[in-house]
Amino acid sequence: MAENSGTDPAVNTNTEENASTSGTIIMVTVKTPKDKEEIAISEDSSVAQFKEEISKRFKAKQDQLVLIFAGKILKDGDTLNQHGIKDGLTVHLVIKTAQNSQASVSTTPGTPPVNRSGSGTGTGTANPSPASPGGTAQGTGPTPAPAQPANLLSGFGDLSNLAGMGMGSSNFMELQQQMQRQLMSNPEMLSQIMENPLVQNMMSNPDLMRQMIVANPQMQSLMERNPEISHMLNNPELMRQTMELARNPAMMQEMMRNQDRALSNLESIPGGYNALRRMYTDIQEPMFSAAREQFGNNPFSALGGNGENSGVQPSRTENREPLPNPWGPPTPGSTENRPPGTTTSSSTSGTTPSVSNPLGIDASSLGNGMFNSPGMQSLMQQISENPQLMQNMLSAPYMRSMMQSLAQNPDVASQVLMNNPLFAGNPQLQEQLRHQLPVFLQQMQNPEALGVMTNPRAMQALMQIQQGLQTLQTECPGLMPSLVPGGLPGGLPGGLPGGIPAGMPGGIPGGIPGVIPGGIPGVPGPAASSVPPENPPPPSGQGSTPTSSAGASPSQQQLMQQMLQMFAGGSAGGIAGSPQTPEVRFQGQLDQLTAMGFINREANLQALIATGGDINAAIERLLGSQPS
Amino acid sequence: MDQENTSFSVKLYIYDISKGMARQLSSAMLGKQLDGIWHTAVVIHGEEFFYGGEGISSCPPGGTILGHPDSVVDLGETEVTDDLFMNYLTSLGESTYSAESYKLFEHNCNTFSNEVAQFLTGRKIPSYITDLPSEVLSTPFGQLLRPLLDSVAITPPGSNSINGRYGQR
Repeated sequence: MAENSGTDPAVNTNTEENASTSGTIIMVTVKTPKDKEEIAISEDSSVAQFKEEISKRFKAKQDQLVLIFAGKILKDGDTLNQHGIKDGLTVHLVIKTAQNSQASVSTTPGTPPVNRSGSGTGTGTANPSPASPGGTAQGTGPTPAPAQPANLLSGFGDLSNLAGMGMGSSNFMELQQQMQRQLMSNPEMLSQIMENPLVQNMMSNPDLMRQMIVANPQMQSLMERNPEISHMLNNPELMRQTMELARNPAMMQEMMRNQDRALSNLESIPGGYNALRRMYTDIQEPMFSAAREQFGNNPFSALGGNGENSGVQPSRTENREPLPNPWGPPTPGSTENRPPGTTTSSSTSGTTPSVSNPLGIDASSLGNGMFNSPGMQSLMQQISENPQLMQNMLSAPYMRSMMQSLAQNPDVASQVLMNNPLFAGNPQLQEQLRHQLPVFLQQMQNPEALGVMTNPRAMQALMQIQQGLQTLQTECPGLMPSLVPGGLPGGLPGGLPGGIPAGMPGGIPGGIPGVIPGGIPGVPGPAASSVPPENPPPPSGQGSTPTSSAGASPSQQQLMQQMLQMFAGGSAGGIAGSPQTPEVRFQGQLDQLTAMGFINREANLQALIATGGDINAAIERLLGSQPS
Repeated sequence: MDQENTSFSVKLYIYDISKGMARQLSSAMLGKQLDGIWHTAVVIHGEEFFYGGEGISSCPPGGTILGHPDSVVDLGETEVTDDLFMNYLTSLGESTYSAESYKLFEHNCNTFSNEVAQFLTGRKIPSYITDLPSEVLSTPFGQLLRPLLDSVAITPPGSNSINGRYGQR
């Protein structure tokens, strides 16, 4: 066999030889990182023979071939049988090349992980400058001097590694990365480095700084995405200022404070908040994400496009509660920081199940009692506390595109809807959903509806309306059903309730986390559309809008009723935070009336309920109804 | 040939990058239960190797921002030496596992881990990991989010690239 292996023309004879020496020819797949080939070889042959075949096929020398199978390196002396290589199995091949030594980073696995162990690459804005000097060859000298952490320096102290630094860019980068990592873990080191005169010298040279920053691949990709950043970098004045800042933490703080103050001023300008948020989203967030990528990234935070928002965050409960009340005194910085944060989490949570929110129909789903879940109620609370949540959610760019695509493709929307487990148990719901979906989607596209949703004052008004409805619901349960039939297409005795059912399927923006919370915007939504038309005109016109498709059928009545129950239930838990008993609610007024001399508590209560807590009107009622 | 026949143990580090959120929220959002969003890396020769948006990267075991793995699977032993392995990885990085070829659903960290595991030990990684993309894509929700997700690359920071092409853009 050995004699045959050398001769080329003997290929045929070779295989024949092999065939004759043993039994079956098997097909073995030989896989390299780049390639894959099937090789026919005799079952009994040795590894050496196998390699010969392979060397012909892959045009490589036999010495360069390394075969691996099941974790074992196949030595020439072994046989295929020995390793259990059978027909149809795959053997891995590595072709050793001259580049091998260069590619591998460290000399032996045993070397302390200076070169190999990496850290995040270039950080965000402020930090690349201090880190990069450490990376440059010059920097290696001075950097060990001021900072004394032993682990970092041990690598630098080892000259052989320094020599290796010149080879391939990979080494260089690793050093730099490791520097950065050390920096991150040890803040004092940063200040030490900054104090080093050489570093300071370098920092005062804007060109050099710029070069270093630009060289960082993270920055490069960032710059590609955001040309504004490169403009910023090209402005030497700005660079110098930034470097001053980086050098001087106190000054940095001052700057930040000024910036925050300016931002909060901006916020109070009408439309200012939007501009701010846009600015943040377009510029800051990508930078932050780039920075964040180094230090802590929930990979799913890139969901929602452009690495903006943290995804899949639990959309309900405690996480949101500490959000500041935007209507309170604006605290510099905090308000600015939170809303973007809200944008982050709420936008995403808005994205996800927004589809499953055929809000108009949410009314019925609400009635299913989901609405009274604690999660929902806390959400109501959060929404009421922070109307900007809505605003943020709705204005997210992908929200819009998603809604658009939904509008264009109702099938997708309905499909997603149907699959949502919350609706799964109720085919009737699904039917209704399907019918009203196109209409509802159209409504969602209506910028006015969106505008109402994003207007915090409108939201507040909505809450008030909810409260009113709740009152109505509890006090006059008989009234509501009678309102319902008229509510839909035709006119209604009360303008408000008519407006509400009409507006319900429409004007309900999608972006609410989860199906359950989905009902919430449904709540303010309808009221929102009724707010503009306001009180006066009987709703005959209004009522005829989108829901005209639905008749005042009993199922619709049920729908309405359920929705109204939801109103009552939801607002009870969330908005007002007050218990439902009118007596407790009007406690203050009752006391006042009693003090005035109206001793009949029952009557007082009735009057108060009838007038919705208005004392003067209640007094008139009482006076009017009193026999004497 | 002085062959020492040393063998190195090969482990698979499995991380849940949703940190438990997938377990809680997946059934509500996707309609099916996913126990986690898995990111995997192969640990051999005292180092962790994985594939992400930057290409093939390495770091000390457990050294990415994800911290310690949620579970570790022992893939077995291999005779592949450090040098050989680096050679192999470099080739991989130049061919099928470059930074640009990263695709969240079809060609991701788990694809890489699977391939490396087979190279080193002949064994595949547990199927629940490699089945994840198809699980997600089989839900309508996953389909909806697909365009968004396709632009995502999972690159846990705290590593350096093996086929670093810095400055050669």
